[in-house]
Amino acid sequence: MTGGAQLTARAGPAFRFILLAAAAAAAGVVTAWVMLTNSARQATWVEVALVLAVGWSFVASGLIAWRHRPENRIGPVMVLTGFLRFVGALKWSQDLFLFTLGHALEPAYLAGVALILLAFPGGRLGNRSGRWLFAAAVLAAVVLNVAWLVLGGHNPQMCVGCPSQVMIELARMPGAAYAVEFAQYILGALVAVFSFAVLLRRWQAASPRLRSVIAPVLWVGTAVFGVLVLWVMDLLLAQRPLDTSLIHRLLRHGSAPDLLLELVVASVAFAFLLGLLRTRLAHSAVADLVIELGTTPPPGELRAALARALRDPSLVVAYWLPDARRYVDFRAQPVRLPDERDGRSVSMVERDGRRIAALMHDAALDEDPQLIESVTAAAALALENERLQAELRAHLEELAASRARLVEAAQAERQRIERDLHDGTQQRLVSIAMTLGLTESKLPADPGAAQTLLSEARAGLSEALQELRELSRGIHPAVLTERGLIDALQELIDRTQVPVALDVALPERLPGRVETAAYYFVAEALTNIAKHAQAATVSIRVAKVDGRALVQVRDDGRGGAEPKAGTGLRGLRDRVEALGGLLTVTSPPGQGTVLTAEIPCA
Amino acid sequence: MRVVVADDSVILREGLVRLLREAGFDVIGQAGDAAELLAQVDAHRPDVAIVDIRMPPTHTDEGLRAARELRARHPRLGVLVLSQHVRAGYAIELLSHGTQGIGYLLKDRVSDLTELTEAVRRVGEGGSVLDPSVVGQLVKRKRTGEDPVEELTDREREVLGLMAEGRSNKAIADRLFVTEHTVEKHVQNIFAKLDLPATADDHRRVLAVLTFLNSR
Repeated sequence: MTGGAQLTARAGPAFRFILLAAAAAAAGVVTAWVMLTNSARQATWVEVALVLAVGWSFVASGLIAWRHRPENRIGPVMVLTGFLRFVGALKWSQDLFLFTLGHALEPAYLAGVALILLAFPGGRLGNRSGRWLFAAAVLAAVVLNVAWLVLGGHNPQMCVGCPSQVMIELARMPGAAYAVEFAQYILGALVAVFSFAVLLRRWQAASPRLRSVIAPVLWVGTAVFGVLVLWVMDLLLAQRPLDTSLIHRLLRHGSAPDLLLELVVASVAFAFLLGLLRTRLAHSAVADLVIELGTTPPPGELRAALARALRDPSLVVAYWLPDARRYVDFRAQPVRLPDERDGRSVSMVERDGRRIAALMHDAALDEDPQLIESVTAAAALALENERLQAELRAHLEELAASRARLVEAAQAERQRIERDLHDGTQQRLVSIAMTLGLTESKLPADPGAAQTLLSEARAGLSEALQELRELSRGIHPAVLTERGLIDALQELIDRTQVPVALDVALPERLPGRVETAAYYFVAEALTNIAKHAQAATVSIRVAKVDGRALVQVRDDGRGGAEPKAGTGLRGLRDRVEALGGLLTVTSPPGQGTVLTAEIPCA
Repeated sequence: MRVVVADDSVILREGLVRLLREAGFDVIGQAGDAAELLAQVDAHRPDVAIVDIRMPPTHTDEGLRAARELRARHPRLGVLVLSQHVRAGYAIELLSHGTQGIGYLLKDRVSDLTELTEAVRRVGEGGSVLDPSVVGQLVKRKRTGEDPVEELTDREREVLGLMAEGRSNKAIADRLFVTEHTVEKHVQNIFAKLDLPATADDHRRVLAVLTFLNSR
């Protein structure tokens, strides 16, 4: 979030804000002047104050919201709504054009208010019902209002001191105008009632955190739509004798319903500001977080600190292990990222362009991406720290597991050798001893039989020797030390059933342990191929690249080897990784298997 | 004398059978594992069963357990357990349930026709056989504190070993080219020095000596 680019990018909006603020100030002054200088019918100070309150509060709140969350469209909509309120007040002008403009657009700002309330706090009309309601609001507040004036809805007798006719009046049809006006009120009332229902449903569906942010706006919005209904009812009743109007009777004041509506609408802007302020308070928690992170938190404490700053106790921090390509918690235990439909959201934390962690939080926090951004920016270093610790822990655990497997494998190998010795060579030798014992007893009486027994014993001895040779090659192939990797591999290949192509590009002999690892890697790979792959040909490549021995065994068998399953591949991996090497397995089903070991030679 | 042989290694079993037949024994059954051995013994009622200690399925001490089972089923049957390794613990365990008609012999030993013949005979006649290398191991065993074995003369230690192998006074006398009377004197001295109750019974004597050697 730092860098010159961002700073210059902000210079433009700042200028725009100053310009708009100045325009709004000027518009307010002009509006007040128009309202107060009308000699025919002067506005009261209360009326002027309410118009200014609505206009300025919307523009101001809109500008703050715009600057605070530029990606959210509510800011500009609020500014527009504020200006529309000033335009509507031009109805107080004596000038015919301004009077017409004001009269035509007087209720337009109510459509803006509806849009703000319906789209709060995300800035978008979430679903189809929201879009229909807004369209109906525009129809009622703008389209039908203009139509009403065109049809001669402006009645100079009802408007003392007003111009006798609006510019856009094309006909004087009182019946049609009344019908349009009636439709306008009914539609307005319906929009109010349905919007009220939408707000109520949104409140029910909101998570506790979202509720605390949107509460002021939702409650004021509810009040607005409630008053709108009253206002419309009152206007409908006002077509009859004045004293039958309910609100007139309640407040004993002629323009009371209009004032009440204006008052409630003005409070929308303040409620919106309050909502913003609450988010601001959340942002001050970031400052607390920064202080808290000044001292390195003990393992696991970081999550709690972040949860406090984000006010989301359900927060889960998952650290990214790039080598293992998986997420773990601070104890290095695997973590699964949630699905979108769990009502959980995931925010990625990056540092210097590298992914370091993922925060799994209440989806309500998506409404305030800046909070998440500032919290993660503040905690990035601590997160990276804890990520490194988790990575280290995961490495250690993997190391311990692989070491245990190596020890186990060595133990199993020794047991195998012992068994081979016991079942093979030892038995054979004992049997030879017995034959010799028998020879001994036969010798004096039956030298011929003794000679046969001696030949038998000699044959048995050469078999025992052969077994011993094979056994010792299994322990460590002598050819490897005596003649090197190439000859040892050649010998391996000679004993393999599948045809093998060997390609060795080594300028010099590899270090002993690397040769041994490479030899066993190939031996194990060939055993696996013989057992599972059903391959027709195998190719082996050995090369030295950038100080690393590269050993690759490629077959054209059935593939599908699973690196995690089976002890064969795991044993290979352990052997290679014990030398700081890397084993990669590519084995798409039906397309053969490529095993590659890279072992550092230094 | 009728014999049953149990060993999972075929070459060894065949060699053993050939040797036993050469020595004049009547081999009436062969088995590759403990279950087969028990069945053979139940069916043929031999005088001696020769059992390899390590057999399928676990290749640990199946032979030892089979020997105990055989002794429980057929108290008069002689059991000779063969082992590839010197393991005093196994030998003691085997003999601690009674030394009559029990033997523990290293496999190397069986190539000597006379030694094999003698061991099978002795076990078949209700005597006991303990491989000299096992006895040697026990006698040489370092004991904590004061070791009475140290007080024995070389000759007495030799006699102690032969006693532990399960030999009678007469056999010991023959082995050492002395009179039986001399052996008796040595035995008395040994029992006195080791503070063991004197007994004329060969079997009890073996057990007493073994218990002593295995103690501490």
